[in-house]
Amino acid sequence: MENAWIIPLFPLLSFLFLLLFGKRFKESSAYVGMLLTFASLVYSLLVLFERFSSPTYKQEGVWLTIGDVQLTAGFEVNQLNALMLVIVSLVSFLVHTYSKGYMHGEERFPVFYAYLGLFTFAMLGLVLSPNLLQTYFFWELVGVGSFLLIGFYFYKDEAKAAAKKAFIMTRIGDVGLLIGMILLFWQVGSFEYDAIFAAVAAGEVAQGMITLTAILIFIGAVGKSGQFPLHTWLPDAMEGPTPVSALIHAATMVAAGVYLVAALFPLFTASDVALTTIAVIGAITAIFAASIGLVQTDIKRVLAYSTVSQLGYMMLALGSAGYVAGVFHLMTHAFFKALLFLAAGSVIHAVHTQNIEEMGGLWKKLRVTGPLFLIGTLAISGVPLFSGFFSKDEILIAAWEGGHPILFLLAVIAAFFTAFYMFRLFFMVFTGKSRSEMKNVHESPSLMTLPMIVLAVLAVVSGYVNTPWFGTFLGDWLVEGNEALGHGHVEGPAWIMIVATVVSLAGIYLSWLIYGKKSLSRNWLGAQTLYKVLYNKYYIDEFYSMTIVKVTKGFSHFLRYIDTYLVEGIVLGVTAFVQTLGRLGAKLQTGQVQTYSAVAFIGLAILMVIFALTGGYL
Amino acid sequence: MSGVPASAFLSLALILFCIGLYGALTKRNTVIVLVSIELMLNAVNINLVTFSKYGMMPNITGQVFALFAMSVAAAEAAVGLAILFALYRNKKSVNIDEMDAMKN
Amino acid sequence: MDLSYVLTLLVFFPVLGMVVLAFIPNTQEKTIKLVGFLATLPTLLLSLAVYFHYLAGKSLEDFSVMKHWIQFGGFGEMDKNFFAVHYELGLDGFSMIMVLLTSIIATLAAVASIHIKKEWKGYFMLFLLLEVGMLGVFAAENLILFFIFFEITLIPMFFLIGKWGYFEKERAAYSFLIYNGLGSAVLLIVIMVLFARTGTSNIDVLAQIVNNPDQQMMAPISDTMKFGLLFALLVAFGVKLPIFPLHTWMLRVHVQAPPSIVMLHSGILLKIGAFGLIRFGMGIFPEQFKTLGLLLAILGVINLLYGAFLAFVQKDFKMVLAYSSISHMGIVLIGLGAMNEAGIQGAIFQVVSHGLISALLFFLVSVFYERTDTTLLENLGGIAKGMPIAAGFLLAGAMASLGLPGMSGFVSEFMAFLGLFEEMPWVAAVGAIGIIMTAVYLLRAVLGITFGKSHREFTGITDLRKVEWVPVITLMALIVLIGVYPSVLSEPLKTTLDAIMLGLGG
Repeated sequence: MENAWIIPLFPLLSFLFLLLFGKRFKESSAYVGMLLTFASLVYSLLVLFERFSSPTYKQEGVWLTIGDVQLTAGFEVNQLNALMLVIVSLVSFLVHTYSKGYMHGEERFPVFYAYLGLFTFAMLGLVLSPNLLQTYFFWELVGVGSFLLIGFYFYKDEAKAAAKKAFIMTRIGDVGLLIGMILLFWQVGSFEYDAIFAAVAAGEVAQGMITLTAILIFIGAVGKSGQFPLHTWLPDAMEGPTPVSALIHAATMVAAGVYLVAALFPLFTASDVALTTIAVIGAITAIFAASIGLVQTDIKRVLAYSTVSQLGYMMLALGSAGYVAGVFHLMTHAFFKALLFLAAGSVIHAVHTQNIEEMGGLWKKLRVTGPLFLIGTLAISGVPLFSGFFSKDEILIAAWEGGHPILFLLAVIAAFFTAFYMFRLFFMVFTGKSRSEMKNVHESPSLMTLPMIVLAVLAVVSGYVNTPWFGTFLGDWLVEGNEALGHGHVEGPAWIMIVATVVSLAGIYLSWLIYGKKSLSRNWLGAQTLYKVLYNKYYIDEFYSMTIVKVTKGFSHFLRYIDTYLVEGIVLGVTAFVQTLGRLGAKLQTGQVQTYSAVAFIGLAILMVIFALTGGYL
Repeated sequence: MSGVPASAFLSLALILFCIGLYGALTKRNTVIVLVSIELMLNAVNINLVTFSKYGMMPNITGQVFALFAMSVAAAEAAVGLAILFALYRNKKSVNIDEMDAMKN
Repeated sequence: MDLSYVLTLLVFFPVLGMVVLAFIPNTQEKTIKLVGFLATLPTLLLSLAVYFHYLAGKSLEDFSVMKHWIQFGGFGEMDKNFFAVHYELGLDGFSMIMVLLTSIIATLAAVASIHIKKEWKGYFMLFLLLEVGMLGVFAAENLILFFIFFEITLIPMFFLIGKWGYFEKERAAYSFLIYNGLGSAVLLIVIMVLFARTGTSNIDVLAQIVNNPDQQMMAPISDTMKFGLLFALLVAFGVKLPIFPLHTWMLRVHVQAPPSIVMLHSGILLKIGAFGLIRFGMGIFPEQFKTLGLLLAILGVINLLYGAFLAFVQKDFKMVLAYSSISHMGIVLIGLGAMNEAGIQGAIFQVVSHGLISALLFFLVSVFYERTDTTLLENLGGIAKGMPIAAGFLLAGAMASLGLPGMSGFVSEFMAFLGLFEEMPWVAAVGAIGIIMTAVYLLRAVLGITFGKSHREFTGITDLRKVEWVPVITLMALIVLIGVYPSVLSEPLKTTLDAIMLGLGG
């Protein structure tokens, strides 16, 4: 564990190496990236196994001195970090492998791998950070990695807009995080997590301040994790290549917000207001995004909204003091959502469209992708025995025990929606007849299917590390030695599990009736207005562009007006005044030397008279 | 000599200066203007010499300075006349009213 | 070992370059450019040597030089230092960094001058004179010497803008001269009042005398007088910095001057304003300066937001960068306004960091302009297709500018806000909007240039040439170095900061 700092350096090396020499390697640069991320993965696994038996390890050095204050940088390996390390490096390695096939023939292939390396570096650095400042450091860097990869197809105007939007929306959140962090610093005198928790536990920070900083930091998480109302960038981010969506916008970076809340959990638990805020925002996001997901027709957008919704779920869990539930779902979600995205990528790779209205009947043509996608769908829908079932169950229990019946209800409805739209997706893509001309549909190469198989296995089995039936190993381990995080396992009423199962099965059944068997009309929404509202994502984007963007632009133009007319006008006024004065003075210049000397003489005479009258003092 | 008070010399200088000033400011003919300037210079010279004799600390400096001023005035008159010639060649006139190239 | 000649050599070496240039015929373009470039190198090497001398743990005092120069009045017999102007050069941590920055950027700007199209000889002679002025400003130990060097920078700048600039160059040049001339007139008044009242112009001595009434030999300097002087300083350096609403001249200069000169102008000359405020304002009038905290912070926030919002609607990339400079100088003011270690350190970091970043961005502007003859955003769209490397660096530069961690901009921005949040959280919170706006306008501009469909065919344009790699790589490396390992800057600054904090009383 002493050498855990080396884990992020492998991808950094990959980034630098490919940036400098990538051109020479062409497509074999994939092997560089794969090799180095594999090294990270191996190391992360070693660290994780070592962490099972040994305590938290932390090491730091001085980064910057300001007066008497020393800001440090270093790394820390605790349970959460070790777990995240493995998730990130594993998904990253699999995506590296998958992209070799997916990005084949792309002109800027090495650049893509370089960016992937940068992102992986930043993400691994983020999860190793022992203090808020360092977290913020890498927090921004993952943002840039995401920005670069969303804008990978830079010549497309949509990609440009999406990249810009992603960066700015998350930046808004980041400023919240920055302010929260600085305020906390002046309260505690340190950015260290340990110091902050100690100060909070000792009651050195005023209650109002805790709430304020916690909420400000949560705003950062809202931006990054695509929570309402800063969620609009995440679906647009699907303009990036699909493996990127799997890595960044499903499994790792967007989970960083959840990770941040989890990492700062003792701070949040110190403030009920902050926790409730998180729970409410989480629940709203969960149901809100799920309802949009019901009607989208772009395969990646459906998945994107499902990601937003699932992240809302995690936030709800954390906000209901369900630390274990949140982290657990973070892990299982990383696996099954990455699987779904990679499978979706495989579908897109085969049919060259993202519109599910044009797909259909692909089950027979994609013999590997189809079942894999089904596994992912089952997992996310919360069908028993798949990983999503266990983690979702934990969340529902946490929400129930957290004492928010309404939020619990919202979570249940969201679960129903999730099952429904995920199977809608599945039925529309894989069953029935093809709805458009599909030529040359072929299964993806094994380089692409192998990573999916690994993820599919994990999507099934990863739930068993923390079940009410076979023991709550993960939960117990996560909270070991830290009282503030709550209990490893929360006992909830048994009916919750039954409700969850029934709800998800009902969602699947309804979906089958409509899209599989087609015995119900597809226009199930009936009212066109509702459909339109959902299809247009509640017009949030339009709302923002009508208000915030317009106001900013208007204000800028107003200032420009001020700048060009008022400020510059004053300057011109001064110039004009001086010029007029000069012109008036010039009128006196008759060219007559004698007049000049007469004036000079009279002036001298007057001066002397004044001098004589005042006795020499002016 | 000693019977003459300093004020007599100073009055003479004043009168000379005023005549010079009057001439310099009012005469049309540039030659006369130049002559008037010489008058003013000489008035100053008289002042210098007077004070070198009757001043608070009488010493030779004033007389030396007067000599200096005379030689400089001679040089100045030469330059002035040279400029005047050049002007006359250009404008066929020594009328000072017509020399207003500095206007505006 | 006597090292006192080093600074004189360092400052005046470019003059030797001017002499050599004078003997080269005007037609030999290549030789002139080469000599012009070479003439900046010895200074660079010397300042690096000074830096390493410091790193080796030796004192910067070794470089101080003092020669008797001008004596006013008959006081020389009583006290040689009374009413005397010495030729004294010296460095502390802050000015050493500024000298180093100046020599680095001057060398790189000389490289960037390959894009100059005419009268290379005159250009490089003025260029070198400008370098002398800038180096002298930072190395001068007394106000009068400072002022002389300060004026030396004005004249070459005037001609460089007026002769080698773009379409409205004359107007820009006059604008520059008038504003800065007025600024230095005000500065001169301050210097003369101080000199007449105390009989010295040495900065350190002044700082002592002004704040200790019993050491004042003449009539004591009243508090009102001190305020007046400080305010005058604020105006004088505020023009240079520039502080809203004294900024309009600087927009014209940014747009009209040749980019290699703007590298120097935006990179170094604007920083003289901040340098002067810290060195003289804080150094000589600490008590009065302290009361200006709120004013400076508010001015800083206004600068930050005003520049950011205006940069958002500009159509010309150079205008965007010009307003961005205003916005970034706001961060300097914010840091100064905080009046604590974090804030002041942040302000100084911002001075250095913005110097590097704006030099990089303007170098790229000159690269793009040379190939496309335009700097308008809409005409440049999609240039990443033709020049991926230059576009990549532009993006990286913009990221540095908007304060991406790992690059220098972040460290300074972070520290400035860290400082201000301790003192005035509400002002700082308003200022934080600027962080968002910076991202908004920079991405709008940079993505507008690099991303998207290309509006015209950029066929046959070459990416970065070998010579052009030098400035880009050097600047980028420095930006990242400071961002990742800020101690390279904070260590030398420590003593300077301690002195300032002592003056501010805590």
